[in-house]
Amino acid sequence: MTLLRTHSTDEFVNWSGSLRFRPYARLWPATEAAIGAFVQDAIAHSRVIRVVGSGHSSSPLVQTPDMLLSLRDLHGLIDYDKQSSQATVGAGTRLHDLGTILHGAGLGMQNLGDVDTQTIAGVIGTGTHGSGRKLQNISASLVGVRLITGTGEQVEWSLEQQPDLIRAARVSMGLLGIFTAVRLQLQPAYRLRRREYCARTDDCLAHLDEVADSHRNFDFYWYPRRDEVKLRTLNPPEVEPPALPFARCINEELGFSHEIIARERQLKFEELEYFIPAEAGPECFQDIRRRILERHRQHVGWRVLYRLIARDDAYLSPVHNRDSVAISVHQNASLPYQAYFNDIEFILRSYDGRPHWGKRHSLHGETLSQLYPRWSDFMQLRRRLDPHNIFLSEQLAHLSGEERAP
Amino acid sequence: MMRTIGAKVWAIPGGHVPLRSSGEEPRHTSRDELCVLNAGHADVTVQLTIYYEDREPVGPYPLKVPAQRVRHVRFNDLIDPQALPLDTPYAAVLVADHPVVVQFTRHDTSQNANAIATTLAFAG
Repeated sequence: MTLLRTHSTDEFVNWSGSLRFRPYARLWPATEAAIGAFVQDAIAHSRVIRVVGSGHSSSPLVQTPDMLLSLRDLHGLIDYDKQSSQATVGAGTRLHDLGTILHGAGLGMQNLGDVDTQTIAGVIGTGTHGSGRKLQNISASLVGVRLITGTGEQVEWSLEQQPDLIRAARVSMGLLGIFTAVRLQLQPAYRLRRREYCARTDDCLAHLDEVADSHRNFDFYWYPRRDEVKLRTLNPPEVEPPALPFARCINEELGFSHEIIARERQLKFEELEYFIPAEAGPECFQDIRRRILERHRQHVGWRVLYRLIARDDAYLSPVHNRDSVAISVHQNASLPYQAYFNDIEFILRSYDGRPHWGKRHSLHGETLSQLYPRWSDFMQLRRRLDPHNIFLSEQLAHLSGEERAP
Repeated sequence: MMRTIGAKVWAIPGGHVPLRSSGEEPRHTSRDELCVLNAGHADVTVQLTIYYEDREPVGPYPLKVPAQRVRHVRFNDLIDPQALPLDTPYAAVLVADHPVVVQFTRHDTSQNANAIATTLAFAG
C-alpha cells in the first residue's frame, strides 16, 4: 500500500493545545482489514504508527512523525449480554456516546472519570479513573479485546482464556497492538445521587476516612486561594449515607450514572497527577498544600484534586497491587506550569508515587521500571507482539527505555 | 415601576491582591472583591477584562448576575480564562448587558491588624 501524504495543514493538536506535531499521514480506517494493511505498510517501510483517541492526553503518547491513526470509525455497540452485564464495543467509541448506548441496553459503566470526552480505548490504555475507595480504574473493566499486533496478526483475548495478556493489555498505551474492539464488565443501569459540599480543609481531612468509607464515590477539590475544599459524593438513591455535619451542601442532583458522574470542561488546563499509596494520601496532600501556600499561590489559582482508586493487577496500572490516592495539580494552559509541576512532582515522588500515563510527568526508563513489579514482563510481551517496533515511537522509547533499533 | 439603577460600564483601576494572609481562611484570606448589584428584572451577563502594567489585557471573564440579586466575586478565585497573579497591580473593566452597580473591596490580612478598604467603582 502506498500512503498518500495528507494535506500539510493536518497538524495534530491535543485538547490542551500543548502537544502539536505534523504526522506524515493521518488515517481514519473503518475496518480491521484497513488497519491490517496500514500495519503491513509500517512494517515494510519502518514507519511508526500511533493511535489517537480524542487527543485528551497531554503526555506525548500519540506523537509520531509517520502514521497517526484514529479509531473514530470503529465505534458503537457490537454485542451485549445482560446476564453477565458485559458488552463489546468499538474501540473508538467515545465515553459520552458509550454511556447512552449502554443505557439503551440496560447497562452502565461501573465508574467514570471527571470528563467523558475520551474514547474507551484511550481511557483503558492510560489507566484513567474516577474516584471511590472500592472502585477500580476504567482499565480494570476490560475483560476481552480484539487487536492487531505489530506483526499484522489479528488476535482476540479474554480474561477467562488469556488472563495474563488481559492484565498486560489493560494499561498498555498502544504498545502491544491496535485495539479494534473491547469487551467490558459493566453493571445493570443505575442511578446516583450527586451531592457537593463546601468545608474547611482541616475538617475534611479530619473526617476523610469515614467519608471515604461511607460513600460509593468520593473526592475533593482543594482551592489554594481559599484554603477550602469542595467535596463530591455519589451514592445510589436508595442509600442514605451519614450526613456531613462539618460541611455545607451546595448542590444536589439525581440521574443515571452516565449523566451524572462526568462533567463538561471547556477551560483548557495542564495537569500533573500521581498515584501514591492510599495510607500516605493525607500526609502527602498536606505537604502539597503547605508547599503551594508557601511558594505557588501567587501564580496558581487552580484547584488540587484528591481521588481514591482501588488496587488492581494490571501490569502497568498506576494502582498495581496497592489501593491508591491520586493527587493532581492543574494550571491554566495559557500560563507557565513547568516550575510548579516540577516542585510538586518532587513531593509526589517522595511518596513512592507513580505518574498518570496520559498527563504531565518527567519519569522514564529505569526510574519507571522500578515502580512496576511486572514491568519486564510487559516489555517482554511488547517485544514479542511488536518485533518491528512499529508502535514504539521515539517518545515511547524514551518513556519505556526500550531500544527502537531491532 | 422601579427605575433602572446603575450603569453598563464600570472601571476599577487600583487592583492589587495582597499575597500574604493571616487568620483562618477563607474568611480572612487577603483579597480584592467585586460586588455586583443587579436590581433590574433581567438576568445580567458581565464581561470582565483585566489590564496589567506590562502585558496585554486578559479576558473576558464572564460573570452572571441573576435578576434582583447581588453577587460577590473574589478576584483571587477567577481562573477562566486565566488566574490573576497575586501581588501584581491590575485594573478591571466591567461591561454589563444591563445596568448594574459595582462596588470594590480590598480585604488585606497581610498583618494581623486587618485592613478593609472599599469604594464604588467608576461608572462609565
